[in-house]
Amino acid sequence: MSDALALPGARAGSQDEPETAYDERLLLAQRTDEEINQAVLKPMLRTGRGFWALVAVLAGIILWGMYSWSYLIQWGLGTTGKNRPVYWTLFITTFVFWIGISHAGTMISAVLRLLKVDWRRPITRGAEAMTAFALVVAGLYPLIHLGRVWKAYWMVPYPNNRMLWPNFQSPLMWDLIAITTYLVSSTLYLYLALIPDLAMARDHTGGWRHRVYRLMALGWRGTGGEWHKLLRALAIFSVAIIPIFLSVHSIVSWDFAVTIQPRWHSTIFAPYFVIGAVYSGLSALAAILIIVRRGMRLQEFLRAEHFDALGRLILVAGMLWTYFWFAGFLVEWYGNDPVVRALISEEISGKMAPLFYLQMGANLIPIVLLAFRKVRTTPALLLATVLLVNVGMYTERFLIVVGSLQRNDIPFNWGTYRPTWVELSVVAMTFAGFALLYTVFSRIVPYVPVWEIKEGRLRYTLRRIGRLLVPTAAEIE
Amino acid sequence: MDGRNATTDTIRLMALLADATQTAQAIDDLHALGIEDRKIVVLSGVPYPERALGRHTEWLALPWIVLAGAIGGFVFGLFLAVITPHLYRLDIGGHPAAAFPPAAIVVFVFTMMATIVSTFLGVLWEMDFPRFGRAPYHDLVTDGNLAVLLEIPADLQAKARAIFEAHHGHHIGEPEWISL
Amino acid sequence: MAKDVNTLTETNVGGPRWAMVVDLDRCTGCQACLVACHAENNVPVAGEAQAAYGRWLHWIIVQRYWEGQYPNVKARFTPLMCQQCTEAPCEPVCPVFATYHNPEGLNAQIYNRCIGTRFCGNACPYKARTFNWFTPEFPEPLGEQLNPDVTVRSRGIMEKCTFCVQRIRRVELATSAEGRRPTDGEILPACVQTCPPSALVFGDLNDPDSRVSQMARSRRSFRVLAELGTDPAVVYLKGGETNV
Repeated sequence: MSDALALPGARAGSQDEPETAYDERLLLAQRTDEEINQAVLKPMLRTGRGFWALVAVLAGIILWGMYSWSYLIQWGLGTTGKNRPVYWTLFITTFVFWIGISHAGTMISAVLRLLKVDWRRPITRGAEAMTAFALVVAGLYPLIHLGRVWKAYWMVPYPNNRMLWPNFQSPLMWDLIAITTYLVSSTLYLYLALIPDLAMARDHTGGWRHRVYRLMALGWRGTGGEWHKLLRALAIFSVAIIPIFLSVHSIVSWDFAVTIQPRWHSTIFAPYFVIGAVYSGLSALAAILIIVRRGMRLQEFLRAEHFDALGRLILVAGMLWTYFWFAGFLVEWYGNDPVVRALISEEISGKMAPLFYLQMGANLIPIVLLAFRKVRTTPALLLATVLLVNVGMYTERFLIVVGSLQRNDIPFNWGTYRPTWVELSVVAMTFAGFALLYTVFSRIVPYVPVWEIKEGRLRYTLRRIGRLLVPTAAEIE
Repeated sequence: MDGRNATTDTIRLMALLADATQTAQAIDDLHALGIEDRKIVVLSGVPYPERALGRHTEWLALPWIVLAGAIGGFVFGLFLAVITPHLYRLDIGGHPAAAFPPAAIVVFVFTMMATIVSTFLGVLWEMDFPRFGRAPYHDLVTDGNLAVLLEIPADLQAKARAIFEAHHGHHIGEPEWISL
Repeated sequence: MAKDVNTLTETNVGGPRWAMVVDLDRCTGCQACLVACHAENNVPVAGEAQAAYGRWLHWIIVQRYWEGQYPNVKARFTPLMCQQCTEAPCEPVCPVFATYHNPEGLNAQIYNRCIGTRFCGNACPYKARTFNWFTPEFPEPLGEQLNPDVTVRSRGIMEKCTFCVQRIRRVELATSAEGRRPTDGEILPACVQTCPPSALVFGDLNDPDSRVSQMARSRRSFRVLAELGTDPAVVYLKGGETNV
């Protein structure tokens, strides 16, 4: 009789938690609530040299990036590689990339919560944190790329003696309000679901930690009334945040699609960007989870089942991305508009060709790889695969933003682009900034939502069907 | 502070129980003893549906707060998108000052923003958070126990204790007022 | 009773719609218009290296195309400036209204409102807009001849041809003080004033008798990228074969 719990091809055990089998079900694990609490609190209470080394490296990159940004402000945007006609380059590319990354969090915590999918349980907080910090970092770019960043506040409608209002027909205004909305929403969502775990941390720590958690837990006791209200609020959040996350990346795509620039002016941009965001975001999430699982020794909580399920979701997202890419490309290619043709030939066989084939390879090969359970459940293989997806999706954004601007209706106005150290440093700064925020967050706050895992464990039992012992979920909601 | 009130003679009693079934049975017995549902508070580290423990479900004002917030956001978005272009008229080539597609986007986003913020503030208001200060609580609640907290007349104390003991309750006694 | 000039420009009832005609059969590609524009509008010089990277700042530029193979090579010149489109794609996208459509049909650029998002630069199909990548420097003695009627822009600001709106205003104010409207040919943008073969003509398209209206009705007339629907206010004339 085969063991229904074991997933074939999964790697069993790890050096630090020998009693946890990688392929055992988390929600059926023979653990008391107290042991789960202690397992989550351990990385919060002890930080090793590796953590501080990482923080130091990231802080160094950030400091260098901040110097570059101040250099940019002081001397002007000429220090970047932008020119006419390529007015938007790496900053906007990376902006779109980070907005894309932010979509995975909502996908996991809101959509999967609504669908009552249990494998989301240990992942939701890590995913929501990724969303919140990706948005913080993305929100820097509309400031970084401004010619006069010291006047950026003019985009906010505040009372002024000229009685001026900003232009709400501009997609950049929609960007401002949509990204602010999404950032506020995901931060509040993250915090609300965090309160019961902050109470748990408050009850198990002392000293300055206890004071911090006490403040953040707002006096949570876990009464029936409190739980009822919290769950109702989370349900409302889950439903409300889905249209927000769909609209944010659509609005960002309309920054491009509302112009009459060839290859930008495409109605498919909105869903294409959203699905691209889900694809790259889920891949980034998988990469982060693999790294955090090793770095914070959370092998107890992140098991084969989670990566298997996440890998399947990425597979579906990848296939959808391919469909939307092809639907857009076919129509452009078929229409034979002269400028579009020039752009496509640049992409297929011109200067942009190496990047184009990198994009297609790095986006399509993972789809094939993720069809194999061995890839999905082996952390090293999955990490390589999803990092490849992120490389491909970043290149895709680059080709859309920079590639398309190089050609337009009047050949005299065609141009090229070369990045400079300023742009690369600032981009590196945002990557390091995200990593630093995430690293510090995951040590201060319980990374895994223990109350949700405990709630899930209530639902799961083993049931006998014929000769099999089958994990069974009860519907107690 | 021991919760003993001389004039009405009510005391507080808390017990920790191990699982939901025992808690539900204990609560049934307490109801049979004549203790009102609103004098019973169950603390847990995991959410249990009220009906699992034989409790009444509280009516929430939250959905109405959210609706009010959403309407407020809708109106504000409408003002920004449709009214402000006429307050200081600046013509845009090829488009009217206020048109449906951009207005729809702005109104939608502000409605959603207001929905989210009013959900958050509404749930905090309804839970009466933040509530720091002393409250009856036990640290073992987050370690998987359910705490049943009673506010009962002193003469029922012995019977209540008996019920708790019958359902394998432990740490029975007056609750500690912990600073939360 | 002197008419308030603001009434004239704000309501535009019976007001002007400014337009320019470029006669490509007369243009010799001498680029005097380009230099005049620099002088009149305080347009900085980007320098050879920056210009080679596509960062020149000319508000009007003579686009030169080579046609044919040696020995039958021809140069074609197209002076291109902001087309002052009626349905300008650059206007709706500016988040702070730094560019908008003024009642005289001009695509106005408000320098001190611009925060430098460069969205308008991407939206313009003619790529007629330029950006101040660095703080402009005016090498001596160019700093001595700045036009006080025109703002000197700092880094981070988009700019473009305005049909010399300062000259339009000056003439409108002067004639309104005299109680009359500007006559045809009284307002001359710097490029129009300078052009040696008189290839550039400026005037009021709402006046059917003005030179621009007559020339715009010519059978030689066309507009650049007309198929995009931007409805530009610059009309080009090109007829038979010429040697330039």
